[in-house]
Amino acid sequence: MGKFILQRLFAALVTIWIATIAVTILIHLVPGDPVRIMYGSFQTTPEELEAIRVRLGLDQPIWTQYLMYLERLVQGDLGRSIVGDQPVLDVLLTRFPATLALTVSSLAIAIVVGMSLGFLAAYKRGTWVDVGAMVLAIVGVSMPHFWLGLLLLFLFALQLQWLPVAGGDWRSLLLPALTLGLANAAVLARLTRSAMIDIFDQDFIRTARAKGLPRSIVLYRHALRSGLVPVVSMLGLQFAYLMGGAIVIENVFAWNGVGRLAIEAVLSRDYPLIQGFILFFATVVALASVVIDIAYAFLDPRIRYS
Amino acid sequence: MIHSSSTAELADDLATASAPRKRSFWRALLAGPSGLIGLVIVAVLIFAALTAPVIAPYDPLRMAAGPRLDAPSTNYLMGTDDFGRDVLSRIIYGARLTLQIGVIAVGISLSCGLLLGLVAGYSSGWTERVLMRLVDVLFSFTEIVIALACLAIFGVGLTNAMIAIGIASIPFYARVTHSVVLVEKGKPYFEAAVAAGAGHLRLIFLHLLPNVVPTLIVIGTLGVSTAILAAAGLSFLGLGAQPPQPEWGFMLSSSRDLISRAPWMMIFPGLAIATTVLGFNLLGDGIREALDPRQTDR
Repeated sequence: MGKFILQRLFAALVTIWIATIAVTILIHLVPGDPVRIMYGSFQTTPEELEAIRVRLGLDQPIWTQYLMYLERLVQGDLGRSIVGDQPVLDVLLTRFPATLALTVSSLAIAIVVGMSLGFLAAYKRGTWVDVGAMVLAIVGVSMPHFWLGLLLLFLFALQLQWLPVAGGDWRSLLLPALTLGLANAAVLARLTRSAMIDIFDQDFIRTARAKGLPRSIVLYRHALRSGLVPVVSMLGLQFAYLMGGAIVIENVFAWNGVGRLAIEAVLSRDYPLIQGFILFFATVVALASVVIDIAYAFLDPRIRYS
Repeated sequence: MIHSSSTAELADDLATASAPRKRSFWRALLAGPSGLIGLVIVAVLIFAALTAPVIAPYDPLRMAAGPRLDAPSTNYLMGTDDFGRDVLSRIIYGARLTLQIGVIAVGISLSCGLLLGLVAGYSSGWTERVLMRLVDVLFSFTEIVIALACLAIFGVGLTNAMIAIGIASIPFYARVTHSVVLVEKGKPYFEAAVAAGAGHLRLIFLHLLPNVVPTLIVIGTLGVSTAILAAAGLSFLGLGAQPPQPEWGFMLSSSRDLISRAPWMMIFPGLAIATTVLGFNLLGDGIREALDPRQTDR
């Protein structure tokens, strides 16, 4: 188990390390002069541009830049944003709780809705419940998240006026979380159904039924526990997708998280902020997947004892 | 979305399916509801794209083709937008952009991913380990973040968005190709070819490639839907299509402030995206079932 955790942590560190290389190279791939692109709209003289270039270390060879970047990174310095001239890490950390709240609540919605739907479909396999659930799931998979968001906004905020259009409190979290959660529930429903169907066909379930165990015990203690294993193994990836999905959904609902910040950064070509965001995103996703993998190992004894 | 199901599982499912004869493939494709409905939707989309100038009632870019924000009526079946442009005509022309996005983005990711996966799977050893480790890391960055990074480099715009989405999906295709190659390499026919002294190029292009193609057709079809969704999302965020392009995601984005006054501006483009994506998803599922009937019930 200890070895497993160490392996996962090492993999996460490699991911983060590659992200640091990627963001350093990123700025050099920009066609033309990145400093001019970033500051061009600020009425700057050639001398001032040169000074900025020196300050950002862009006059150095790329490997020196990379070492300088790592050195500052270790001290928690991700540079300063161009728009607003603030420390990038501070900006990201201020915005992150909003994104985390959105991601975690939508993951909860996706798990509850998606797994129940998939379980029900597998249990009632071949009936209209199964067909209905799977039609719903494939429609859900095919719907653009932001369109679902606009539809929910139209229905609940504008027509029925049950919920606010935007704001910042928990009530304004409901619609974005529901949008992102339902969109991902569709994926989980399909996964759960196929995992449960595999389980229902297996001998140990037949044995449990044959020896006369109550149906609820067979369903929940035997089938559900083993059926959940492959589904839980996908949750790390699901979390990453939710974080990615949050980038779009935050913009639909004017939710002030890091996703909205990232889009503003790309539109205004604020490279220090873009670099910071990519590194931050990679780190969060890598660490979250370690946590989820460990949880998964606890659920599946085959990993725990290997 | 296909990218959320386990690639190894998908590859394993598909690798065992050998390409059946042509006639029985088409019969199997059209027998299931998925394949049939998917094919019809995709055919309608292609038809709309090809005949847009003939079937569109108005010029999609012409301002004041009708009154502004006019509700759907017999003159304007899907209403008009805030510039008085006909929404239906814009959606019909949008089919062209949507197909273009699908073909270009999937073309990029499929060709690069195929190459990477083939090389990694065939070479084994260090090359394989380094390549696949890198692919795994890129995969964990998620597509939207890779696409954003690409757009930060190239700048925004629809063409750049297509390329960005294409690049962002390379890791996925590389992973699937790699898993299929691993399965194929373990089969007796491949070992026989190696034993018979076939060269590297012969092994890769005559033995591995033909067996990877069926899987790639399935994930490529499903991938078109992912690419269309991603491009619509980027356009919605203002990073893809720019005014006055009749791109569906961009149309949705311009409907945002008018949702309560002109909900048709939001409903129809969204419906167009969802139907198209559904079409490619169903077609992909249908092809998968037709290639491997064993999987039909899952």
